[in-house]
Amino acid sequence: MNLTQVLIVLIVLFVGWYLTFSASRLDRLHHRVETSWATLDSLLQKRAAIAMEIVRESSLDPATSFLISTSAHAAREAVISDRSEAESVLSESLKMVKEIAYDESLELPSELLIELSDITNKIKLAINLHLEAVNAARNVRRKIIIRIFRLAGKAPLPVRYAFEDDVL
Amino acid sequence: MKKLKIGMVCPYGWDSPGGVQTHIRELTKHLQDEGHQVSVFAPVSDEERVNESWLVNAGKPISIPVNGSVARVLFGPIASSRVKQWITQGDFDLLHLHEPAIPSLSLLACSAATGPMVGTFHVSSPKQKAIYAIGPILEPIVEKLTARIAVSESARQTLKDHFDTDAVVIPNGIESSQYSSAQPTIHWRNPHTLGFIGRFEESRKGLQILLDALPIIARFVPDVRLLVAGPGDGDELIKKLDIGLRNRIVFLGFLSEQEKASFLKSINIYVAPNTGGESFGIILTEALSAGTPVVGSDISAFKAVLDNGEAGLLFKNGDSADLAKVLIGLLRDEELQQSLSSKGKLSSQKYDWQVVADQILSVYEMAMAGNNKVGLISDSRFWNRR
Repeated sequence: MNLTQVLIVLIVLFVGWYLTFSASRLDRLHHRVETSWATLDSLLQKRAAIAMEIVRESSLDPATSFLISTSAHAAREAVISDRSEAESVLSESLKMVKEIAYDESLELPSELLIELSDITNKIKLAINLHLEAVNAARNVRRKIIIRIFRLAGKAPLPVRYAFEDDVL
Repeated sequence: MKKLKIGMVCPYGWDSPGGVQTHIRELTKHLQDEGHQVSVFAPVSDEERVNESWLVNAGKPISIPVNGSVARVLFGPIASSRVKQWITQGDFDLLHLHEPAIPSLSLLACSAATGPMVGTFHVSSPKQKAIYAIGPILEPIVEKLTARIAVSESARQTLKDHFDTDAVVIPNGIESSQYSSAQPTIHWRNPHTLGFIGRFEESRKGLQILLDALPIIARFVPDVRLLVAGPGDGDELIKKLDIGLRNRIVFLGFLSEQEKASFLKSINIYVAPNTGGESFGIILTEALSAGTPVVGSDISAFKAVLDNGEAGLLFKNGDSADLAKVLIGLLRDEELQQSLSSKGKLSSQKYDWQVVADQILSVYEMAMAGNNKVGLISDSRFWNRR
């Protein structure tokens, strides 16, 4: 075997290694997008449930109760494409609860309020982690070699949700 | 929350002083107090100086120059196999890797392991050229971290610049009760005493700026004194000083943790004239929780800690005339000192370990959402599967 043949073999081996490496990297990233979304999803569901409970357990005025319970309901039922918008509406209406929380006469259940602020903090974190995973996956999928060899397979391109964590 | 088995990796020599080591030691203590099991894996240069039962020795560190100072790190094939052994034996729920982008144990652990991993980035530095060469190699490794924490906004910016990923900002923690309940030392106490702590021989710590401001301050506040603490040769520095200044300055040398708390409680104003290269400024938060007013340079890390001038005063970085002006104003205004003291105490509460460790635990919880344990990547390759 002469030098060129050896070189060709080496190059083929390297390309093969690089392709498997990239594929497993991408697989890992997709997996992370899924798990981080699952976490975020369950936290959002929980938040909606807490919102419902707050309405049930406290003597809020009918308008506020109506607003919160409808937005919580909408957030729970929303299809994936309307999800982030529905959640933002819920965040906005829950903000009202926070503002009136100091009013003693309303008899707001304080445990639920603490739980709500706890879960809000966790949601912020989860949004951060999810967006990070999505960005990382999208960045890698943009690479030429991954597009040419179709290493992403049939996995859908992760979607960047417009969650506004500053309204939380 | 269920009790976790956490594997923590320290990239730097455990028995040499440093912010990362202190952070890990205190975080570990807190997690253990809450009932979690923690094992810390770190390089150790002198086995006899280490007495923690939860520390696993990774071997002797080697010294390499990083960022203008010397870092004691450890890597190589032997270290790498020890990392794998530690991960296998530990059977951890989660790995917490500190400074995973530095060529040391954390990076080795990150590349060897799979499963829930959290990385904390401490360093903040301007973008370095070397990163262009090694970035593409590091990126797929750093990317494996399930969640990233940066200790400050500037550390987060550094991470963004270097790796194009984002992080959650969780500040360094302090034992605030240690500072708020410290007893002042009588002979350090004097009506107009300024304090400075740090390796004062390093120019980026900015002692020279404070020394330049001192003659101006002395003209308006005749009995002003300056106490300087920290490792270094004080005599050498005194010789270079103006005669009129010499009796105003006292060098105390290196202080123990307890002495430091008492020092911060005794002085009137803590001055932080650092010119840059600071990622967080933990000493500022310690002074704040002792209830001592703080004056710091307006570098971004200090601006963040001092709530943009709300919790402490800022002066123009590197400008000793401005520093003198701010200090004279504060020394003469006791009401302002009082109000800064109470505001500072309040704002330092968010740096207490009680709060910080809780935040870190919620990151752990998120990272473990996938419900699998930490393992080795080599075990999941198909020829190794059983």
